[in-house]
Amino acid sequence: MSANPQIIAAHDQILHFPKGSKPIIENNEWLIWSGKNSKNKDEGANSTLPDLEHSKKNVLVPFSWWIVHHNEANVLAKAKAGQIGVWFAADEDILKHADMIEQGKTLWPVVAAHFPIFRDGRSFSTAAILRNRFQWTGEIRAIGDVLIDQLLQGARVGFDSFALRPDQKTDIALKQFDLFTVTTQNSWRGKRSLLEA
Amino acid sequence: MYKYDHIDQTLVDQRVAQFRDQVARRLDGSLAEEEFRPLRLQNGLYHQRHAYMLRVAIPYGLFNSKQLRTMALIAEKYDRGYGHFTTRQNIQFNWVTLEDTPDILAELAKVEMHAIQTSGNCIRNITSDAFAGVAGDEYVDPRPICELLRQWSTLHPEFAHLPRKFKFAINGAKEDRTILLCHDVGIELKKSPSINHGELTADIYAGGGMGRTPILGSLIKTDLPWQLLPSYLTALLRVYNRFGRRDNLYKARIKILVKALSPEEFARQVEGEWIHIKNGEDNFTKAEWDRVAKHFTKPAYKSLPKLSNEQVINTASETDRAAFARWLERNVKPHQIPGYASVVLSLKPHGSVAPGDATTAQMLAIADLSDQYSFGELRATHEQNLVLADVEQSKLYELWQEAKRQKVALPNIGLLTDIIACPGGDFCSLANAKSLPIAKAIQERFDDLDYLFDLGDISLNISGCINSCGHHHVGNIGVLGVDKDGEEWYQITLGGEQGNDAAIGKVIGPSFYADEIPDVITNVINTYVNNRSEDESFIDAFRRIGVTPFKEAAYKNKDESTKKKEKTQSAGATS
Ligand code: HEM
Ligand code: SF4
Repeated sequence: MSANPQIIAAHDQILHFPKGSKPIIENNEWLIWSGKNSKNKDEGANSTLPDLEHSKKNVLVPFSWWIVHHNEANVLAKAKAGQIGVWFAADEDILKHADMIEQGKTLWPVVAAHFPIFRDGRSFSTAAILRNRFQWTGEIRAIGDVLIDQLLQGARVGFDSFALRPDQKTDIALKQFDLFTVTTQNSWRGKRSLLEA
Repeated sequence: MYKYDHIDQTLVDQRVAQFRDQVARRLDGSLAEEEFRPLRLQNGLYHQRHAYMLRVAIPYGLFNSKQLRTMALIAEKYDRGYGHFTTRQNIQFNWVTLEDTPDILAELAKVEMHAIQTSGNCIRNITSDAFAGVAGDEYVDPRPICELLRQWSTLHPEFAHLPRKFKFAINGAKEDRTILLCHDVGIELKKSPSINHGELTADIYAGGGMGRTPILGSLIKTDLPWQLLPSYLTALLRVYNRFGRRDNLYKARIKILVKALSPEEFARQVEGEWIHIKNGEDNFTKAEWDRVAKHFTKPAYKSLPKLSNEQVINTASETDRAAFARWLERNVKPHQIPGYASVVLSLKPHGSVAPGDATTAQMLAIADLSDQYSFGELRATHEQNLVLADVEQSKLYELWQEAKRQKVALPNIGLLTDIIACPGGDFCSLANAKSLPIAKAIQERFDDLDYLFDLGDISLNISGCINSCGHHHVGNIGVLGVDKDGEEWYQITLGGEQGNDAAIGKVIGPSFYADEIPDVITNVINTYVNNRSEDESFIDAFRRIGVTPFKEAAYKNKDESTKKKEKTQSAGATS
């Protein structure tokens, strides 16, 4: 979508699959800011949020950035206006920041977990921990190298929205959730079929 | 034996449909090879030297005649007329096409089989004791737990993209026949009146494995009630998923994490995670146990007198007695039920193409034998042989005669020629050297059954590269293919052992050429013969006298033969 190195590319639309409802395609209202400089800017730019006036009006910031900057006035203002959510890097040890995530429950409309490459499954565990240890009930979005064939697993561990990689076909993506009518272990969405057998 | 209910069947059928769609997207180009790769691996499909290879799961090694017939027909219709039984209780087909694979999987699904998670960075096919449920030394039948965990791990969403593959083994017998300590997680089942009111519990070992850095697993949890296995294993895998190294393929296995943290610290972290989920609904219920365990009740055994060895030998004709007695000694194992025995069919005939191979004709015949002599059930062993677990002692002679006709009656189980070998350079694209010709050359050198018998238990395992598919680390004698300047060389390890005294063998020194190996093995064996005290096994003698005499013997001819080699090579270069 964007050649801007500060933005993590995603489909213009997201796949939204709230627990208990049908998956649908929605417009993506959130920029995913990598928090990193483009090469030609100096370090100071690191603390500057992207322009939310002229593009999407909400931004997902790296959790590591949030830890450093969340007390700054303009950040706080935007957060209070519901314009800021955070995303967790795959190697983020979220358990070390339980307090901050607890506070975040009242601030962030959405959190995300990043897939640096599709076959890196750490964010599956991040989502599982957010759901069953932090009791996070808001939206959890999968971002980064999110491919069609990961959707089912993501949906079961606790993701309920997916910012697919821009080249992925949303029509095929939508069909993924109907592939299996049975499961053999519990997940965030339901208990294993075996319990009813 | 476990029988699929509609849930298992639906899941496997839907999995076939899912893979069919993925293959179609691969073939029309909308799915890149790089992105298809983990998907096909999680369905057991490798891309090898010559063709695609499909690895089909035989969960905990147990299967039936109908399934074997299907495998035989798959070998016939989609492959080149044979299948290869592996060290992890799977069967591999070496010559399939991508286009055919969905159809093959559909055929397998009809007989309650699949290739789910036989490869890839996920929880692999769970292995166990090939003699589960019948072994004389068993104190807990591990099969219900194996099956429950098979179900729990199948398409587990959180652990679909682990840092690396993840292998479970489960044991419930006094003698460990699973190489428990060489698995990422080893589960030792127990039942003791003093623990958990005599209910089933598990001791958990973590961080074992072979490969580049062979390590034996460490005990990290004792007396875990069986119901809590899913929550405990979730915690364990969650720690590994989050903190296992992903930056370096060679350091990504759980063994490296456990070693880096120390087993105590790893156990502590697992405990820290587990505490939050141990009372949740992930745990197994009594109802689930009942549903699964009812399939593992004893078959309809007759009440028969227990025959002595002599009585069994006397069922044979006089001319056959000596040979039959040999087979009884090596290939027939004690059984829990009087009047019954378990029979190992050797897939290692001397001079065979590959240890563990079975042709379509053999598979069909063995399926018939299992129907006729063993309630239609079979087991695959990690030594790459097959087992008929429930044979009436009085029918052993008859069975032996049939098995001889199929060339699966060689009495070499546990002997030097019962070689474990990976496919090596003949098939595998990761190989540094060939394994199969080495196995064949050793079998040809040691073809004298009397001599082999006299040598007794010796394991010889061959891997074509450090990935260790041939388990060379735990062979009393291990042979490892290595690459030196583009040439195939073989490194020897000695002192490896599986079982309760599991040990990793030690490299004895510089490597050898392929054609030196039979001599090297001969010299090592002679050293044993010259030094053993009465009835002392190879490994016991090795432990007593140490590596030095073996090493000296192994290198006895080395200088000469290297010189000879160099001479012929330089001659070749100038001509
Ligand atoms: C022909 C295709 C095969 C390929 C590409 C392959 C690949 C691999 C790789 C990459 C490893 C190393 C994993 C590690 O880092 O530890 C490995 C290990 C292993 N493979 Fe294979 N393999 C093949 C065939 C087989 C066969 C035929 C067998 C059984 C005879 C087998 C059984 C095993 C076992 C038991 C290990 C043990 C390693 C451990 O426990 O640490 N593989 N294989
Ligand atoms: S040990 Fe190496 S050569 Fe042998 S099958 Fe495994 S990966 Fe291939």
